[in-house]
Amino acid sequence: MVSNTEEIQLNRLENQVDNGGGGAWDYLCLVRKLKVRRSEKVLKHGLSILNDPKKRSSLGPDEWTLYEQVAIAAMDCQCLDVAKDCIKVLQKRFPESKRVGRLEALLLEAKGFWEEAEKVYSSLLEDNPLDQVIHKRRVAMAKAQGNISGAIEWLNKYLEIFMADHDAWRELAETYVSLQMYKQAAFCYEELILSQPTVPLYHLAYADVLYTLGGLENLQTAKKYYASTIDLTGGKNTRALLGICLCSSAIAQLSKGRNKEDKENPELQSLAATALEKEYKQRAPTKLGLLISTLKSLKV
Amino acid sequence: MGLGFAVGVLGVLILGHAAYSTIQYRGLLKIMEEEFSGPPMNVVLELLLAFLFCIWAALSVPGKFLPINPDSEENRIVSLPDNLDFMIFNHRAKVSLSEIGLKLKH
Repeated sequence: MVSNTEEIQLNRLENQVDNGGGGAWDYLCLVRKLKVRRSEKVLKHGLSILNDPKKRSSLGPDEWTLYEQVAIAAMDCQCLDVAKDCIKVLQKRFPESKRVGRLEALLLEAKGFWEEAEKVYSSLLEDNPLDQVIHKRRVAMAKAQGNISGAIEWLNKYLEIFMADHDAWRELAETYVSLQMYKQAAFCYEELILSQPTVPLYHLAYADVLYTLGGLENLQTAKKYYASTIDLTGGKNTRALLGICLCSSAIAQLSKGRNKEDKENPELQSLAATALEKEYKQRAPTKLGLLISTLKSLKV
Repeated sequence: MGLGFAVGVLGVLILGHAAYSTIQYRGLLKIMEEEFSGPPMNVVLELLLAFLFCIWAALSVPGKFLPINPDSEENRIVSLPDNLDFMIFNHRAKVSLSEIGLKLKH
């Protein structure tokens, strides 16, 4: 999870490194720790360390981690030569390593040699059938070839074995959303909320899915999850605030004709609207008029 | 930090002195053959002072306090990590990135 302080620190370091202020290694460590995908920068700054023999030797055993990181970043940037060279160095140092074998298969993937990559993966799996990363790579390969239903099949098989892997659940949820299979996606997000109840972004995504599904009951649940997102983020999440407004207006429209025995709490929407107006005033004053007219059209 | 540490040391010293005074006072009571009715004023004062100093040092020396609420400004989660295990490579980098000048030199 990337918290606010960590994101600020990351951006500050990136700025500093880009402007030649040093701290490249710290930046690369932070990128690794937060698992963010900034391949271009990693490639550029990682290579500048690797090409400098003095800096490289000062890293000690971390040097090899950096080679791996740069290799993956290079593949992501399609600089396959760099990736090949890095993997060669690693191969020389660790001739029998499974991890390097995985990198080689990754390179085959990046080149688009799917069948060869699949062969390498299945031979690696024979040695260690419970290697989670390789199972995940298979899913990714199916996805890369445009075989989304295949990817879902692999993922479901994988999740039957490794049920606690929330990254995989998230991937499955996002894949279902991309196919507009919202009911299945909602199930995945429920699973995610159960396993990590303090992450507001899962609550938000679940609420989004429920709102998209529609229907009075789903909308009411969605509103509750938007509210819990606000609770967990200290009211700083604009999307959740807007979600509250949208849900309230949709609920009001759906339950117009009926007698309202379970009257909704009208305070929540007006509070959300006030918070939104305050935030827009502070951070984007030029868009404030747009926001106000939108809120008015929602009758919040 | 330095100040807090010095105050802590001072607090411990005062505490030691209070212990020493108490032992002396008990010796004195034995000599004068009086009953023990309560600790003397200066020991009580020293104990209070040492207590305050030690608390202050314990709070200030180890480091500053960090927020623990999940919804505080520092801790609130702004984004999820990119799912790097499922990373795929056939994306727009193929056409848009042309940094061929980069090379690993050995």
